[in-house]
Amino acid sequence: MVGETLRNLLLIAWLLPLCGFAVEIFGGFWGSRRSRVAAWLAVGCIATGFVCSASALTIWGNANGWSVLHHAEHHADETAADGHVAHDSVTPPAPETLAAADAHADAAAKPAAEPDAQKPQDSSAAATTAHNDSADHDHQHTAASPAARTVYSGTFYRLATFGSLELSLDYYIDSLTLVMFTMVTFIATCIHLFAIGYMSEELTEEYVDHHAHLRNGHHVHRPGRFYRFFAFLSLFCFSMLGLVLAGNIFQVFIFWELVGICSFLLIGFYTERKSASTAANKAFIMNRVGDFGFLIGLMVVWTYFGTFKFADTVDVDGHVVQAGLFHMLPRAADGNVIINPENGEVQIGAAAANPGNTHKTIPYYLLVVAGLGVFAGCIGKSAQFPLQTWLPDAMEGPTPVSALVHSATMVAAGVYLTGRFYPMFVQEVLLTIAYIGCITAFVAATIAIVATDIKKVLAYSTISQLGYMMLGLGVFGWGAGLFHLVTHAFFKSLMFLCSGSVIYGCHHEQEMPKMGGLWRKMPITAFTMLVGVMAIAGLAVPGLVGPGFGQLFAFSGFHSKDAVVATALAYVQANPAHFLLFILPLITAGITAFYMFRLWFYTFAGTPRDHHVYDHCHESPLIMTGPLLVLSVLAAYCAWGGEQGSLYLLITGDQPAYVSHGIPAVAGALTMPGHDAVHAVHHQAGTYALIAAFSGTFLAWLLYGSGKVDVAEIKRQLGGVHGFLANKWHFDELYDALFMRPTHVVGRFCASIDRLIFDAILHGSAAATVLVAKWDRAFDEKVVDGLVNLLGNATWSAGNSLKVLQTGRLRQYVMFIVAGVVALFGVLLATFPR
Amino acid sequence: MSLDAYLLVGAVLFVCGVICMATKRNGIGVLMGVELVLNGANINFVAFSKYTQLGLDGQIFSLFVIVLAAAEAAVALAIALNFYNNHLTIDVDRASKLKG
Amino acid sequence: MSNALLISAASAPGGNLLFFVFALAACLCAVAVVAAQTVVRMAFWLVLSLGSTAALFFLADADFVGAAQLLIYVGGTLVLLVFGVMLTASGPYLKISTSPGEIVLGSAVALLFLFVVIASISGVNWPAPAVADAGDLQTTAGNTLRPLGLSFLGTRPDLDLADGDQLSPGYLLPFEIVSVHLLVVLIGAAYLARAKRRATGT
Repeated sequence: MVGETLRNLLLIAWLLPLCGFAVEIFGGFWGSRRSRVAAWLAVGCIATGFVCSASALTIWGNANGWSVLHHAEHHADETAADGHVAHDSVTPPAPETLAAADAHADAAAKPAAEPDAQKPQDSSAAATTAHNDSADHDHQHTAASPAARTVYSGTFYRLATFGSLELSLDYYIDSLTLVMFTMVTFIATCIHLFAIGYMSEELTEEYVDHHAHLRNGHHVHRPGRFYRFFAFLSLFCFSMLGLVLAGNIFQVFIFWELVGICSFLLIGFYTERKSASTAANKAFIMNRVGDFGFLIGLMVVWTYFGTFKFADTVDVDGHVVQAGLFHMLPRAADGNVIINPENGEVQIGAAAANPGNTHKTIPYYLLVVAGLGVFAGCIGKSAQFPLQTWLPDAMEGPTPVSALVHSATMVAAGVYLTGRFYPMFVQEVLLTIAYIGCITAFVAATIAIVATDIKKVLAYSTISQLGYMMLGLGVFGWGAGLFHLVTHAFFKSLMFLCSGSVIYGCHHEQEMPKMGGLWRKMPITAFTMLVGVMAIAGLAVPGLVGPGFGQLFAFSGFHSKDAVVATALAYVQANPAHFLLFILPLITAGITAFYMFRLWFYTFAGTPRDHHVYDHCHESPLIMTGPLLVLSVLAAYCAWGGEQGSLYLLITGDQPAYVSHGIPAVAGALTMPGHDAVHAVHHQAGTYALIAAFSGTFLAWLLYGSGKVDVAEIKRQLGGVHGFLANKWHFDELYDALFMRPTHVVGRFCASIDRLIFDAILHGSAAATVLVAKWDRAFDEKVVDGLVNLLGNATWSAGNSLKVLQTGRLRQYVMFIVAGVVALFGVLLATFPR
Repeated sequence: MSLDAYLLVGAVLFVCGVICMATKRNGIGVLMGVELVLNGANINFVAFSKYTQLGLDGQIFSLFVIVLAAAEAAVALAIALNFYNNHLTIDVDRASKLKG
Repeated sequence: MSNALLISAASAPGGNLLFFVFALAACLCAVAVVAAQTVVRMAFWLVLSLGSTAALFFLADADFVGAAQLLIYVGGTLVLLVFGVMLTASGPYLKISTSPGEIVLGSAVALLFLFVVIASISGVNWPAPAVADAGDLQTTAGNTLRPLGLSFLGTRPDLDLADGDQLSPGYLLPFEIVSVHLLVVLIGAAYLARAKRRATGT
């Protein structure tokens, strides 16, 4: 019942953008390039989708009695509840508000005994309990069992069945799905609105692209593509929502690719610019590299598990017909994957009733391969090291695209999938994820220090933050990584929109050295940007970051980054060999604060460096600043309450059961920190992170804000480092040398082989064919045609000569008949003489 | 009287009819030739009916022939009238549209 | 009256004489038809020829066929032909002469054909009727009306009487077909010959 409602609501939210896309593409908007109808259509679709998603979240919460939020109350004190009240008043539009409000109401109504029901979950029996609990499908959980996880899954439509391979459109709805839906639709709505203002220059029959040049030096003139932009945005929203809603890994892959193609279309939106089309190709190809790994992972999964579905398939009676992927890996009570010590194989399907798959096993290393393969896809999509280089180039697209696609949602798809596929990852894979995230975060952050293009800074910042999320997931901070994903989506989309506003106001000037002092001209943008900067830097006022109204001084980035860093610290404490996993993120936190404030000081503070730009710039219209204001509120306070706040609890409401308790080490394996271990070091890690953030901020102010230090001098003295960083650690050159040049060499070699051998053979055979064809033609013309012509001529001349017989005279015909009869007689008599 | 005598008469009538058809340019004349041919055939039928084992069948066939001849005459006459209406003549040599 | 007379003549010794007379008349009149220059004369000679043929039928003991010949041919078809002559004979085209060459050629071919036919007549050994059947026919000679009628109605008195034990098929179905055929022809002829506007042009 609830499952159906949720399914239908999310289905509407999912399919509406597709309808919007169809209408926008085929609706004839190319007739009038000045119409804004397409934009409002897209906004309507996505806004309706947001309403549906938010309703779904509320319904889900009500159906489960907001048990996830109660869950918090035995960890936290009543301050969380107070926080909810305050939260309520601060951010009315947020769906979390509804959740929090309801939770609060329920908290008052419910018996106090309920939180105690949680206690057994902490025992060693929790793993099996959780597995049993999560086997439910479309069963509504009653409020009597608040500990139960609330997953609704099922099938929309079966696409095809090939033997045992079943391809279908499924749905898998849990708290993460709902939060992602709400987040994506909300941010997308804001960005759609913003884009109406930003893309308004396209509302013309003849758009002059000043960045694209024809061969004769003139600018490209083309019709405006306003409607097309919004069509692509709608298609993108559809793909992203489909990815989030997907109930099997293959469906994820389908929408994964759809998201990729939307990204390709939107990056290459200014397709006349060579840089744009190159960047689009680059993004697409880099993603293909990752998707290759993804496919390998899919093959392993299907070969050994025999299904793509996340959740169990149940029949009408509730019996499990086919176990889902998430229940196939047997985990011991402590959360470790059970490995057969004799042959190193893992039995599949021991954890759940699994009639079809009773005795199958998978070698452990193939589990690692499957996990790494799927994660390779995430690397490509989330622009992780070593496939990170496409994302900065993707800034060639219009800025709303950067905000939506390349900061808040699409790149988040990789992180989302890593989180979604978490039960399938074994610890070797998690370690890889952690290191990749760690390296990515650090490398991208260092590059961001020296970038001068305002969007490039944000792009590297995005990569860095995505690295943070991966790190969080890798060090067993499932909730922390995804928490950071959501908060980052808010403040990064905010900052991208702000940069869009700056670019719009400065007439497409993106270089920060030409800006400066812009806060006087565009105060709203500057203020909201400052909020975003503070959020991402993770600033908070020490001492005041307490319960209650102290939350006003702690922005969302502080909470989420805190969570990640704390998890990393707990992890490092448990596994000291991997100390880099804490050190690098901590340094990165400082660097993040540094480059973000550098960006703000560079752009908005100080004195104007280029008076031409300064004189002509202006504040953006309301349709652009409005979304900025809304987003700034959410960016600041969406994580209200931190890890006791409603957002975090909502996200982790359906987290894999073994996560919260951690996994103890067995036989030289890694120890995964549990919730309690993280909680123990939380304060310590938070302090470290705050120190790092403040030092970064201070350094930024010193270098760029105070005007007391000559930046150019420092740049000159650190020329080598600067050059190294400015060239993005020479990754492009490295790939050029590693892959492109060898490819070119091999390509040239192959080409010469082609030319010298294959072409020779081909040419020889072609010449022979021509020769044979000439003979054949001669034969045809002389013999065949001759015969046919002869026959035709003979027939024709015979007819011509016999024509005279056809006199048309009746009486002669009679004569012919008679003569014929006589002749017959003659023949008879001659043949049979008597 | 012998069968051969009858057959001879039939043959003479038949050949006369054929000559008629072959030489008369008047459409009605051709028609009369046809009648003569049919009559020659009739005589043969009746003669076979009398002088061979054919029995009554010969007479029945000749009756059919007579009836069909009447029908043929009616249709042929209608055609001739139509032809005359179109060409203002009954000369069958003028009907040479089918000439090759 | 004449019917009875002819029957008696056929069975009489003078039957041969009568046969020669009528056979000669039929042949000569047919030749006259060929030789006649105008259509009206052709029609006249044709009447005589067909009448003589009817007489020959009587002589061959086929009195019903002879009567039908007289009634339908001489009395019906020829009147029809004469009507046709009258309707189409107008002015200059009344007499349409044929070239002598054609006449000679046609006659030559036709006579060749006659020779062939006569050769085959004389060459074939025609089977004589069985004795018993001949006896049966003798009893019914000249009185064929009833057997013919029965034949058309579906029984064969001559054969059935002869064999006694089995029924032979009659001619009911062909009779019906012919009657329908006649109806169709009647309608078709009326349709073809109906008065209509003179064709323009040709």
